[in-house]
Amino acid sequence: MKTTKRLLLVLVVTLCCASLGLSQTPAAPAAATPAPAAPASKAITEADLAGAPVPSADARAKGDPDGSLTGTASDVTVSDSKKGISIGDLANQAGQNKIAINFVWTLVTGFLVMFMQAGFAIVETGLVRAKNANHTMMMNFMVYGVGMLAYWLIGFTIQMGGVGAVANLGGTPPLNSEFTITLFGKAFGLFGTHGLFLVHKGTYDVSIMVLFLFQMVFMDTTTTIVTGSCCERWKYAAFIVSTMFLAAFTYPIFANWAWGGGWLANLGANFGLGKGYCDFAGSGVVHSVGGMTALAVAMILGPRIGKFTREGKPNAILAHDIVIVLTGCFILAFGWFGFNPGSTLGASGNGGLRIGSVATNTMLAGMAGSFGAMLYMWLRYGKPDASMSGNGLLAGLVAITAPSGFVNPVASVIIGVFAGVLVCISVEFVDKVLKVDDPVGAISVHGANGLWGVISIGLFADGKSNYGGSWNGVNGSVTGLFYGDNGGQLVAQLIGVATLLGFVFTLSFVFNLLVDWVVGQRVSAKSELQGLDLPEMGALGYPEFELKTQA
Amino acid sequence: MILIGLLVTLLGFVISVLSLTLTSSVGGRLVIVLLGIAVSLFGIMGLLNKHYLKNAIWKKG
Repeated sequence: MKTTKRLLLVLVVTLCCASLGLSQTPAAPAAATPAPAAPASKAITEADLAGAPVPSADARAKGDPDGSLTGTASDVTVSDSKKGISIGDLANQAGQNKIAINFVWTLVTGFLVMFMQAGFAIVETGLVRAKNANHTMMMNFMVYGVGMLAYWLIGFTIQMGGVGAVANLGGTPPLNSEFTITLFGKAFGLFGTHGLFLVHKGTYDVSIMVLFLFQMVFMDTTTTIVTGSCCERWKYAAFIVSTMFLAAFTYPIFANWAWGGGWLANLGANFGLGKGYCDFAGSGVVHSVGGMTALAVAMILGPRIGKFTREGKPNAILAHDIVIVLTGCFILAFGWFGFNPGSTLGASGNGGLRIGSVATNTMLAGMAGSFGAMLYMWLRYGKPDASMSGNGLLAGLVAITAPSGFVNPVASVIIGVFAGVLVCISVEFVDKVLKVDDPVGAISVHGANGLWGVISIGLFADGKSNYGGSWNGVNGSVTGLFYGDNGGQLVAQLIGVATLLGFVFTLSFVFNLLVDWVVGQRVSAKSELQGLDLPEMGALGYPEFELKTQA
Repeated sequence: MILIGLLVTLLGFVISVLSLTLTSSVGGRLVIVLLGIAVSLFGIMGLLNKHYLKNAIWKKG
């Protein structure tokens, strides 16, 4: 055992030295040879276009096995077929190609995020007891439909109804109405008002459809976080009502403040705090909102029967299938390549090529998170715990979600390792000090690490990103304290943290308290002991298995 | 106790927002926002959670 610990310590020290060395290595001096002069540009004329080589009909009729005849000037859409191709046609085609690339990018990454629902479903189901498998799976399955319905009805309007122009998607001009109040002499955007049912006020628009799909799957991620903390004792009817409120109001309000042109995003423009509250892909908007709501509902529900002894000591309630837990973590890590890189909302123009850096940062932080958690558990308890290694991976991914677009690879690894250790400490704190029962560790993975991700921007943003020359309406790149900022960016991030803790938690708590009084949040003790599959869902998850009853 | 806990939690948020008008110095704002976060955490962990722990299911045996 001691030898193992020593080996691990040597490994950690070596890695730390390597990363420090890497971060402090000066860049290689630029080559002395001067850059070649750019060739003089020449305006294209209509005559040039008329002379563009186009394959003959005979040549095309013979097929195009090497692809050299497909995709030529003859494929450019012309406005006047008699006149032929014009410079205007060419410019329109180029513009449409840019937007098409961005549409396809945003849609495909949105599809990846949608697939994360499957990952969450099997992670959570694997971590509960077999007698609750159907119930947990159904909650994860139905957040997709229930959440989407509420978000389509009103949530999207509140979040994005006043976002203004989303240049990468072609403008989204109908989303131009934000409800604001004046506070401290500045306009505070509170919620959007255009977009009900995706037809209201001209919002039946191709670019708005793309934006809706992408934002909808993000919101759905938030709703599925809560099911993890509340499983094995949550009444299904209460879950439906609670999820609808989260999707319709709680999530969209905070998302509007951060992403929809609301007051948090404008802290930079209005109060000189860096570039305002920054959250590239949603450590705060998605994960912390889910984590805060999970904490509120878990407190109201109380712990599962048998989770604590009469003296208040926590009992471990074991996962029933660690294989699907870790498989689910892999699915989530795969889906995160949609979550973070997709948040550029495009691959062409306005810094779209940062997708390479965002994806790599995501991969590095996830890896570092699982490594940090595994190492922490190994050193502390003598074994590399599987479920906590999985949670470490997710913690690293959650933490890098906000800063992924603003930091470099070394910072990503530091953020990820810290997240991996933080999730282990936070799980222990929630369990042993707060005595809040969180069967899957969602409060720690998403709540605590979401907040860490938000704060890390104020520290590690390196000022190298460039998404069209400005962010949140303030010129320049997002820069953190360690890269020369005066601390204004960190203050903006901390105001976001205070909003999540003070406002989002309170809103979620009040609504779920009302649900508790009206519907009742918790199942009966008899149902809980029996397992929720039969009493709540009417069918067992594993009907051919003989399940032991745990009193 | 629940109402007091909720009000204190919300108060932390209000304090943080007030930092925007109480001072224009970054250091001053940082201190006020951190104070707001501490107040909210006290509301959640020190008041609300404490109330629920008093009536916890595991204490009833």
